[in-house]
Amino acid sequence: MLASILASGLAVGAVYALIGISYNTMFSTSRVMSFTAGQVGMLGGVLGSLFILRLGLPPLLGLVLTLASCALLGVVTEFVAVRPVLKSLDQHLYVLSTLAVALLVQNLTALEWSTEPQPFPALLRFDEGIWDEKYWLPILACAATVCGLEFLYRRTLVGRAFVAIAQDNFAARALGLPERNLRIASYALAGAIGGLAGFAGGQLLLAFFANGPLLNFYGFVPVALGGLGNNRGTVIGGIGLGLFQQAANFLVGGIFSSVAVFALFIVILLAAPQGLFGAQAARRV
Amino acid sequence: MQIKRRGLLLGGTGLATASTFGLARPAIAQSEPIRIGWLAALTGPSSAPAIGFNRGVLFAADALNAAGGVKGRKIEIVTRDTQGDPTKAVNATQEMISQLKVNAIWGPTNSGESLAVTAIMARANMPNIHPCVVDSLIDPKRYPNAFRIAPSSTQWDDAVRGYALNIAKAKKVAVIGDTTGYGVSAATASAAAFKKAGADVVYKTTIDATQSDMTPDMLRARNAGAEAIIVWSVSTGMIGRLLNTRAKMAWDVPFIGHPSLASGEIAQLLDKPENWKKVYAVGYRSCSYDASGKLPPHSEELVANLAGKVNLQDTLLWWVACGVDAVNLIADAVNATGSTAHEAIITHWNGLTNWPGYFGTYTCSATNHDGYPEQDVVMSDASSGRNGTFALAPGYE
Repeated sequence: MLASILASGLAVGAVYALIGISYNTMFSTSRVMSFTAGQVGMLGGVLGSLFILRLGLPPLLGLVLTLASCALLGVVTEFVAVRPVLKSLDQHLYVLSTLAVALLVQNLTALEWSTEPQPFPALLRFDEGIWDEKYWLPILACAATVCGLEFLYRRTLVGRAFVAIAQDNFAARALGLPERNLRIASYALAGAIGGLAGFAGGQLLLAFFANGPLLNFYGFVPVALGGLGNNRGTVIGGIGLGLFQQAANFLVGGIFSSVAVFALFIVILLAAPQGLFGAQAARRV
Repeated sequence: MQIKRRGLLLGGTGLATASTFGLARPAIAQSEPIRIGWLAALTGPSSAPAIGFNRGVLFAADALNAAGGVKGRKIEIVTRDTQGDPTKAVNATQEMISQLKVNAIWGPTNSGESLAVTAIMARANMPNIHPCVVDSLIDPKRYPNAFRIAPSSTQWDDAVRGYALNIAKAKKVAVIGDTTGYGVSAATASAAAFKKAGADVVYKTTIDATQSDMTPDMLRARNAGAEAIIVWSVSTGMIGRLLNTRAKMAWDVPFIGHPSLASGEIAQLLDKPENWKKVYAVGYRSCSYDASGKLPPHSEELVANLAGKVNLQDTLLWWVACGVDAVNLIADAVNATGSTAHEAIITHWNGLTNWPGYFGTYTCSATNHDGYPEQDVVMSDASSGRNGTFALAPGYE
């Protein structure tokens, strides 16, 4: 039982963490919580299955095309749902606009793909049991993403520009940083990360249009737990969520596990509204 | 010739007088087509059943028309695609009643739409036959116009319980539903019926269809001593995961339940084809083949008639057969009564006794509008699908 909780919990937790990182990446350059994150994750599974299983492309090419398509969706989101409402962020219109795009993506997928879950191909056929690739592939993808982002933010000029925009948008613009282009790039990056989440978790979640709302929801929890914009906190929150959810599945079962997850979530937010790893926001007085 | 106002007035008055005395009406009525409204979810999610029904509907209408129609009147199928949306079904129903003036309506083919339109049809006393399973859709007092020619959910439940207790000889069962409204209510009703029948429901749960790992629930069912798993879900993803988990646990417990257990979508979600063995789904005797691979004679006759005209490879025979029966039932009512009046059709259906359809032999009365025979609801070997038919589950004669 413990092995099953660990294998399944870590895997699904890694998928949640990646979706959380996708939320953070978009938020850092736009201050917008884009609810397309989960749908991009869903598309990662659907497009992976489409390219590899239906069209018969090699897995690596399938992965590249999936990430490129999801990055493109990220850019479209920025143009269609984010840019028009940036001037009135305080009215939170982005909630409606990004949800609208998310619904559009979900319904189009249902109509054009299938309303039934479709299989996702085994990429490596490594082993069965708890060493099945469906358990470790999401963890590997999550680790690779975290390392890649750390490298990007700390060692590259573009990454430092991202950080600058995230820390102080106005100051960064005053220094001549191309804020708009960087925002577009961050949405493309977030799309690719979300797509990677769905691709790596494809065997676990299947290529299913209804995964979108699930990932939107459970991907948001680690963001809130880890502190908005804090990727390390999000990864810890995601992994913790996956493990707790799977343990609750074993201990209380069925729909009650969701109740347990969200009861704990509310308790944590009551105790630490800024998230477990988030800093208290300073307010100018 | 110049048309003057006086001439026009006189002509109009003459025409009105003639029609008042009913001079032209009988001739027109006898040559008018019999209009059958067909509420079909032909596109959108859950369109597969309606596509199958539609093939039967068109086949039956073409066959009747090719034979000269009914008392010289052609069958006209008036189809509206409801896309599985109750709102669109309501609009289409109102259009059929008030504008298209159809003589009877076949459909909708899913319970969500039917729940929305049944009362509307009842107010118009529109003769209606449908294949939807929700029990409350049939109530001869509230809806004297509505008839069902497919099993109700109670009949499904009875068949599943009967097979589990009497043929599979399982006395301890685990009942699993999904978290949809249907899944929860079906699992609850099924568990209650098992208990009432003296069985021990050792585990009952509802599972979110998107849950990625079914091991916890299957472990609980096994630890509780379940001898059969009763499944009430239309989610092929959930069913596929449950079957894969059963195989990983090396547990050969039988799965018995909803027709979706036999859905072709499941095959591609299984780790191995043999994971689909010992799975028994609700099926129908008329569309089940025996050990020698033969369907009942009446069904063999239908399949022979359909050959080359209707594709059965990507649909279920019962959908096609039920569509054929629906059109034939309406045509038979008009033929027997010589009328397309609503009341005449309804009265005729109230007197149906062992009416020999292809899908079933229907019997209705003024107090029973559930026309499908209960004994014809049987269990099928879920993995034995062949041209829309299934093998009878083991244990039937």
